[in-house]
Amino acid sequence: MSSPKERRSVVTGIGVIAPNGVSTETFWKATVEGISVLDHVTREGCEHLPLKVAGEVRGFDPADLIEERYLVQTDRFTHFAMAAANLALDDARMGRADYNDSPFAVGVVTAAGSGGGEFGQRELQRLWGQGSRYVGPYQSIAWFYAASTGQISIRGGFKGPCGVVASDEAGGLDALAHAARTIRRGTDAVVVGAAEAPLAPYSVVCQLGYEDLSRLDDPARAYRPFTSGACGFVPAEGGAMLIVEEEAAAVDRGASVRAVLAGHAATFTGASRWEESREGLAHAIRGALQDARCAPEEIDVVFADALGVPAADRAEALALADALGRHAARVPVTAPKTGTGRAYCGAPVLDAAAAVLAMEHGVVPPTPNVVNVCHDLDVVTGRARPGELRTALVLSRGLMGSNAAMVLRQGSPSPS
Amino acid sequence: MNAQLTLTELAALMKSAAGLTVDPKELANRPDATFAEFGLDSLGLLGIVGELENRQGRPMPTDAERCKTPRDFLALVNTAPDTAPESVPTTGA
Repeated sequence: MSSPKERRSVVTGIGVIAPNGVSTETFWKATVEGISVLDHVTREGCEHLPLKVAGEVRGFDPADLIEERYLVQTDRFTHFAMAAANLALDDARMGRADYNDSPFAVGVVTAAGSGGGEFGQRELQRLWGQGSRYVGPYQSIAWFYAASTGQISIRGGFKGPCGVVASDEAGGLDALAHAARTIRRGTDAVVVGAAEAPLAPYSVVCQLGYEDLSRLDDPARAYRPFTSGACGFVPAEGGAMLIVEEEAAAVDRGASVRAVLAGHAATFTGASRWEESREGLAHAIRGALQDARCAPEEIDVVFADALGVPAADRAEALALADALGRHAARVPVTAPKTGTGRAYCGAPVLDAAAAVLAMEHGVVPPTPNVVNVCHDLDVVTGRARPGELRTALVLSRGLMGSNAAMVLRQGSPSPS
Repeated sequence: MNAQLTLTELAALMKSAAGLTVDPKELANRPDATFAEFGLDSLGLLGIVGELENRQGRPMPTDAERCKTPRDFLALVNTAPDTAPESVPTTGA
């Protein structure tokens, strides 16, 4: 992705809808302060289910940002994505005037792991409760993995190449890589990211079969990767959208180059085969470094996958050692998601957003709820750690077996 | 029963089925404007047809969901013969 002769992909805008903030500013403030918002599940219909702790997005009213005509035909996961796209476009100062004359120059890519469970549950309840004639036509599009890409494209008038990564968690990073490929092929900008809404009762029931799901009832102890208390992961809703642009196009329109998507690689090692994920993740890290023409020692911070399953945590620590050598034990490692939960495909995009903000602010955010790390990693716990951060490595693994790594480089200073 | 659908009711259906705020007077003043111009897509019109069928307990005329304008739609659904079966099947079969 990073050859100087190639069309480089840069991040110019960030939009976040997360459990710890429904704007990029509040998300970053909570992330730097290491505030954990993991809490008991309050969603109606979930009270009796064995999942007790999650990262819910609260205080989010989609009607504040999205027209009703789009809300009635979309699920909560698309509400998040549309709202995050709005925030990202505003952040990038990209408006209709920037692409009205060239709508085909802007594309949309999202990743999704589950689609519209809440909308789907409501319509299925009508199907079995009242009959097929009571199922609304929008069910045909609202549940679908591609819904967020389509609706963002329609609503914004983005007619460039669009795509959807239907995958597990790692799909969030794969979507960013897909956007970079789209830009390399000639598109000027891509609205890209992922947001999920997996906390409707139907969706929660679908996750109960995951043996890696934490069932602990204590929000402070339910998700503690890299510790002896690791007992699985806590799911979350929300996600992030980024505006990724071809560097020269971004500079031409006076946009601020926040970061460079420098390198990416992905591998697959099979569902729940965490021991094997060591090799797959290490290979992905090496591939991303190579793609970015980056030496292991250049990595200034690692945003870990941090699943919270002992075998997976061990595999991740070993993968870092395999790929980074001695640097693995020295580089600061963080996992802010321990304070929000894992929003499936949204999780690594939130990490990528946090990585950009961390490089801009020169500070590694901490890993909430985690103390006494039992692996040979320098996990940043307690408080944020200041430092000059020029290059970040973001890791993600999915429950279905995907592994992905992405290298991001610090952007150039703002033209303004 | 063969209730006549009014523009006011159609506007209310456009709101409930498709989230569109449309003034019934606007529907009256622009009789040739298309549903698309009012922001209603084909799935939205299908939802309105389904809602009317459920309320009235009878099928709407064939092609009701293909009408392009509110005027055509009202003309079609309001002139349909009142030969309603007692109930609409509730399964997709």
